[in-house]
This record gives sequence, C-alpha cells and structure tokens, in this order.
Amino acid sequence: MENLGIDGKLLLAQMINFVLFFFLVKQFIVKPFTTFLNQERKNEEEKDRFLEKLRKNEEVAVQMEAKMKAKMKKDFDALIIQAKKEAQDLKADLVKQAEEDAEEIKNKTRKLLEEEKKALYREVKDQIVKTSLIIVESALKESLDEPSRKQVTDFIIKNYEGKLKVYEN
Amino acid sequence: MRINFKIKNELKNSLIDKIQKEKELVTVLSADFLEIRQKEALQKKFPDFNWKEVVYEIDKSVIAGVIIKVGSRTIDLSLSGTLSKLSNTLYEID
Repeated sequence: MENLGIDGKLLLAQMINFVLFFFLVKQFIVKPFTTFLNQERKNEEEKDRFLEKLRKNEEVAVQMEAKMKAKMKKDFDALIIQAKKEAQDLKADLVKQAEEDAEEIKNKTRKLLEEEKKALYREVKDQIVKTSLIIVESALKESLDEPSRKQVTDFIIKNYEGKLKVYEN
Repeated sequence: MRINFKIKNELKNSLIDKIQKEKELVTVLSADFLEIRQKEALQKKFPDFNWKEVVYEIDKSVIAGVIIKVGSRTIDLSLSGTLSKLSNTLYEID
C-alpha cells in the first residue's frame, strides 16, 4: 500500500472522518431537513383536506341556499295567492255591502219621496177643498137672498127624515 | 163652616131644576127669522122636544136651514153643516 502511495493511517483517518462526517450530516442536517419536509408535506395535505372540506361545505351551503330560496319563493307565492284571494273576498264583501247600503238608501229615499209626495198631495187637496168650500160658501151667501134661504130651509125641513147625525157635546 | 141643611137642599134642588131646564131647552139657529109655518113644521118633525121652552136665534153663518140644540145634542140641518160634512168627506177621500 505504501508502494502505491496510500497511507494506511491517513486512509483510516479519512475513513473515520468520512463516517463521522456522514453520521453528523445525517444526524444533524438530513434528519431535521427530512422531518421538516415531511411536516411541510403533511401540512400541505392537511391544507388540501381542509380546502376540500371547505369546498364541500360551500357546495352544501349553496345547495341549502338554493333550497331555502326555492322554499321561500314557494311560501311567498302561496302567501301572495292567499293574500290575493283574501283581497278578492274582501273586495266582494265590500262591493256587496256597498250595494246593499246603496239599495237601502235608494229604498229609504224612494219611501221618503213617496211620503213627501203623499203629504204634498194631501196638502194640495186640503187647500183645494178649503178654497172650494170658501168659494161655495161665499157664492151661496152672496147669491141666496132671504126668500131663497127660506125656500132652502123649507126644503131641508120638509125632506128631513131623521137620518142626519145627532152630535152629542 | 157648616151650611144649613135646608139651604143646602134648596140650592141643590134649584141647581137640579136649572140643569134640567137647560137640558130640555131647545135653541134653534137660523140665518133668518123663522116663519110660524116653519116653526110648526119643525115641531112636527121633532115631537119629542119640549117646544114650550124654545129660543130662536139668528146666525148668518148657518147660510140656510136650521141648527137645533137641545141640551148637549145638536141636530144640524143647515147648508153650512152640509158643506162641512162635504168637506169632511172630501178630506177622507184619498
């Protein structure tokens, strides 16, 4: 070995040195670095899982939202239909009530007019009767002279047959 | 205050007589003085009345005919009465 120019002691020392170096590098550099890399990979995987979970949750939320919107729309439509129906019923009731009121007012007015017409007719008739009687009375008083009055008196007495009314005071 | 019983009775009898006379008193209302024949005709038509006590009065509102009053009764045989009855009939007609 010496002839080949190899120093055995130096080679041993270099080998020991290399083993020591390898051990030290492995122990203090490679191992923590590997651990760090593994940890980073795990973190990345965990992050991916978390992101996936979030995405799924988001999808579920979107679906839920869509369902809720559909349900709300359905409820809203039902409410609108119900409200429209109630409004129509109310309108019909109001129209009916208004028609009844109008009919009642019409009847009352007609009755009132009828009564006023009757009262007016009665008043006019009374006035005509009163005026006619005044005219007849005046005419009789003016036209009948004493002999005529006596003749009328004779006629009344002669034709009286006890049928006239007797007034009791 | 006590009233003498005799006076009280006399007063009562007097009032009764007066009322009786008023009840039987015949009053005849006419527009003109009635002639005797008309009075006799009336007496014949109403023989139940006491014609001995009769008062004849003139009332131009009678127009013609007579109104006989006996007590509380009235017998209307006048033109004004006929007109009044006619007006009542007209008022009753609708």
